[in-house]
Amino acid sequence: MDLARQIDVTPAAMASPDTAQDPAPAPRRRRSQTGLAFIAPFGALFALVFILPILYAAYLSFFQEKLIGGTTFVGLANYAKLVQDPQFWDGVGRVIWFTLIQVPIMLFFAMALALALDSMRVHGARFTRATIFLPYAVPAIVSTLMWGFMLGVKYGLFGSLNDALGTDIDPFTPDTTLISIGVMVTWAFTGFNMLIFYAALKAVPRELYEAAAIDGANEFQVIRAIKLPAIRGSLVVTIIFSIIGTFQMFNEPQILPSMVANSGVTTYYTPNLYAYNLAFTGSQQGYAAALALVMAAITIAVAYAVQIRGIRNASDQ
Amino acid sequence: MHPTSSPRAEGGKASRTPIRHPGPGRRLHTVENPRKSKTLTVMTGLFTLYCLLPLVWLVVNATKSQADFVSSFGLAPGREFALWDNIVQVFTYQDGIFSRWLLNTLLYVVVGATVSTFLAALGGYALAKLDFTGKRVFLFVVLGSISVPGIALAIPQFLMFAQLGLTNTPWAILIPSFINPFGLYLMWVFTAEAVPTGLLEAAKIDGAGEFRTFLQIATPLLAPAGVTVLLFSFVSIWNNYFLPLIMIKDPAWYPLTVGINQWNKLGSTAGNGALIQNLVITSALLTIVPLIIAFLGLQRYWQSGLSLGAVKG
Amino acid sequence: MRLSQKVRLLSAALVPMFALAACSGGAGGGGGAAGSGGGDAPVKLKVWSWDGTVARAVPGFQAANPNIKVEVVNAGSSQDEYKALDNAIQAGSGVPDVVMFEYFAVPYFAIPGKLADLGEFGVQNLKNDYVQAAWNDVTVNGKVYALPSDYGPSAMFYNAATFKKAGIDKPPATWDEYYEAAKKIRALGDDYYIAQDTGDIFFLLSLIWQAGGRPFKVDGTKVHIDFTDPGTTKAVTFWQKMLDEGLVNTKITGWSDDWNRALNDGTLATQTMGGWLTSTLPERAPKAAGDFKVALMPQWTQGDKVGSANGGSSFGIPAASEHKEAAFKFLEYFAHGGGLSSRVDAGAFVPNTSVLDSEEFRSKANEYFGDQKVGAVLAEASEIVGIGWQYPPFFEWARSIYGDIASPFYTSGKGSLAEILQQWKQRCVQYGNEQGFEVD
Repeated sequence: MDLARQIDVTPAAMASPDTAQDPAPAPRRRRSQTGLAFIAPFGALFALVFILPILYAAYLSFFQEKLIGGTTFVGLANYAKLVQDPQFWDGVGRVIWFTLIQVPIMLFFAMALALALDSMRVHGARFTRATIFLPYAVPAIVSTLMWGFMLGVKYGLFGSLNDALGTDIDPFTPDTTLISIGVMVTWAFTGFNMLIFYAALKAVPRELYEAAAIDGANEFQVIRAIKLPAIRGSLVVTIIFSIIGTFQMFNEPQILPSMVANSGVTTYYTPNLYAYNLAFTGSQQGYAAALALVMAAITIAVAYAVQIRGIRNASDQ
Repeated sequence: MHPTSSPRAEGGKASRTPIRHPGPGRRLHTVENPRKSKTLTVMTGLFTLYCLLPLVWLVVNATKSQADFVSSFGLAPGREFALWDNIVQVFTYQDGIFSRWLLNTLLYVVVGATVSTFLAALGGYALAKLDFTGKRVFLFVVLGSISVPGIALAIPQFLMFAQLGLTNTPWAILIPSFINPFGLYLMWVFTAEAVPTGLLEAAKIDGAGEFRTFLQIATPLLAPAGVTVLLFSFVSIWNNYFLPLIMIKDPAWYPLTVGINQWNKLGSTAGNGALIQNLVITSALLTIVPLIIAFLGLQRYWQSGLSLGAVKG
Repeated sequence: MRLSQKVRLLSAALVPMFALAACSGGAGGGGGAAGSGGGDAPVKLKVWSWDGTVARAVPGFQAANPNIKVEVVNAGSSQDEYKALDNAIQAGSGVPDVVMFEYFAVPYFAIPGKLADLGEFGVQNLKNDYVQAAWNDVTVNGKVYALPSDYGPSAMFYNAATFKKAGIDKPPATWDEYYEAAKKIRALGDDYYIAQDTGDIFFLLSLIWQAGGRPFKVDGTKVHIDFTDPGTTKAVTFWQKMLDEGLVNTKITGWSDDWNRALNDGTLATQTMGGWLTSTLPERAPKAAGDFKVALMPQWTQGDKVGSANGGSSFGIPAASEHKEAAFKFLEYFAHGGGLSSRVDAGAFVPNTSVLDSEEFRSKANEYFGDQKVGAVLAEASEIVGIGWQYPPFFEWARSIYGDIASPFYTSGKGSLAEILQQWKQRCVQYGNEQGFEVD
């Protein structure tokens, strides 16, 4: 999962019900344009590094390049081919499975840790909080290298563990690699998500707890009645974060094959990896562009669905 | 570990900006400082171990020579303590190119993070406090476009930058890093909450221009969010791998991540590759140390900054 | 077109920024200067190489050619570099003047016209100064597009200590003997194997090559693929038997950390690989110093002397280079002329007859290999490499997806090598035709 993207890439505001509204609208003056000068630098660069490339990708997706014979306009042929490409759907299926399993586990840990730390009942809370967050600062390159070395079954730590326990577990077979990647991703991002939950908990007015204590509420009642509702908004944010990050998974499957053979990581293991290989090894940039755009559409759709559900649940309360 | 009495106050309303810890001191077990739980400590301890183990592995193995690395158990020390040797080697290998990569990374990070934070602050301020047509569309597009995979952007970005003659120059990394949509969002939310409109109006009545009002009134209030955005930009640029991989072919402009991966590949490529895993591991360690220091050192600021984003979310 | 107009507009807007970069970045210096230099300013050559020995030839060359400045850059290894080159060519900027290619990558760049035909520089005159098979590797459809710079004649590196432990007193001379040796080594215990294979296509092709199989036939843009000829079948059947009987370690992959360790502790008894392993083995397996020896590849028929190649690389000149003449001057210097010896001294294994035939090279004792005269063995291995091998122009892509197809067999044992190759062929046919070749 791409570290940089995960944070860069947060339509966190999508999670807020009033996306396009000013949180605190400026008093209505005549529709002046004072903001333009302020927003212009961001807007211009945004157009250069986001909008133009996306338009360009859309343009490229209507063409097919050949090593012999050059580039030809093919209309929607790339999209038609994509819909029937089993390798593409294999990758999509994999990231969806991964999202369904890894994300809940990671968020469960993150939430449990945030609640534990917030309860003030843990020794060394500051140390724990900082340590759990540390992996977030480790570049995906470095973390994949470390985990690759450590999980190596012949001589890595896992090999030693197998020897000691007399087991024969290989963390990098086609059946287990995704689990290992899950372990790496969970390692890298639990702390980040934990902090978001933790920050939300910290924002709960302390008077509420005092009131609860006076009412004689026990810890679990406090969690249910005060803390979990306080986290709900953050939960939607973290889910959307995680979905986007997972759908763009790239670094781990790209680096792993050079460390372990036959881990089951194919050239189309995730949609992003497939797009990269199509574009840069297969010289099929038009097809890769079509794939990337379709993937973006799927991601937006899923993120939007989560947001809608999040709002509905919130308003149910 | 001393229990600090009231960390609860540090998050919350960021408009209350840095609140000091009233120093260490024992207190009675209250709502604010309940009895510690062994079970809970053990459980969080286990997770802490999981987070620490790879880092411990990294530190241990950075102390081994190449020969020890291939022949000794992962968590045991090598026969010789080679950390200093390794560090010296990292800085001298290939005519000391590592220091060049380090400087490049610093350049990308310092310029990129500063500019992106400033642009985000300007934009966030405009969204929260100023008028212009198309605000909704602007927000919608900025936040929506974020879901586009990096790969989709990378190829056309590369082709465009190549036409502009910017590939293989620091600009190819800097310009994309100037844009941080998450930062814009955070600044927008933060400005709306923490900067009282009345204060701005007052400044304007006193005759201050828009920009001066922003600089003199708003900027100081935005500091906690600024540090947060700065730090997260810092990390994302420091860890950026994919973009420089595509944009930069001249090793003299590599950032650390690409350089380290190239060193690692020397080892796994058939042929004339050199096996320098000890250098790969040591340089990896050197790469994450500054980040860890920055994060731990500025913990208080970014945690309070982040809390606001979370509340809003 | 609107888009490019926009781009140009932006370009105008960004010029000041770029100028700023030139000013402030200049002090850092070191790397690529932007100025192209007019008039009779010295020519600046950009060389892409992940072979470290090329840089050794630069000082001598610049001394002899004060008007040419050479900058050698590592733009990535193998496919990373090819991607970078493709990007640069497509973008039309930053194209280097001399580029390193593995032999299989030469047709990929040569056939679509991305490489300069070296014929105009009289390269034909150099033909007899190289091992014939290496020259064959840089020749595409009758034209020469690169000069061979290092070579990978297949040879068998074996751990004599492990052999001795298993009761084998001399290296197997035929594949039948190899099979018997494999069983003895396997009998030593759990981790002992004669070799590893996790789907190494280059190794399999080197076996096929040696057995006389020529699965790829390239003529212009026509490519014919056939994995059922007698040579291919012989090699594939043999290796299938080795795998089926569990004589090969399918857990350890070449160039991995585990592989290094297994070479170090002697549990992998042989490596049948390119001669370039000579220079990397001492780094990989420092503890096995003195144990390893080199022999010719085992033969398919007793008394034969046929070999094959596995890896090796060459250097060509992109058609888009602006300094082709100067580029060729440097290329000739380090791959053929005065700069060759500095590279050989630095450990390069070159296919130049001037080196391979020299007494100095053949009689030099190699300390790591227990003072064996390794040069003599590898020189012979180079001379016996079978002629007429060809790679399809899309081999880079083909090898990248080979693992997708082979992996299920190596992990679960389902299927067979022959079936893998058949599937591989189907994918190649489909891809090749999509890319405008005529493939069958």
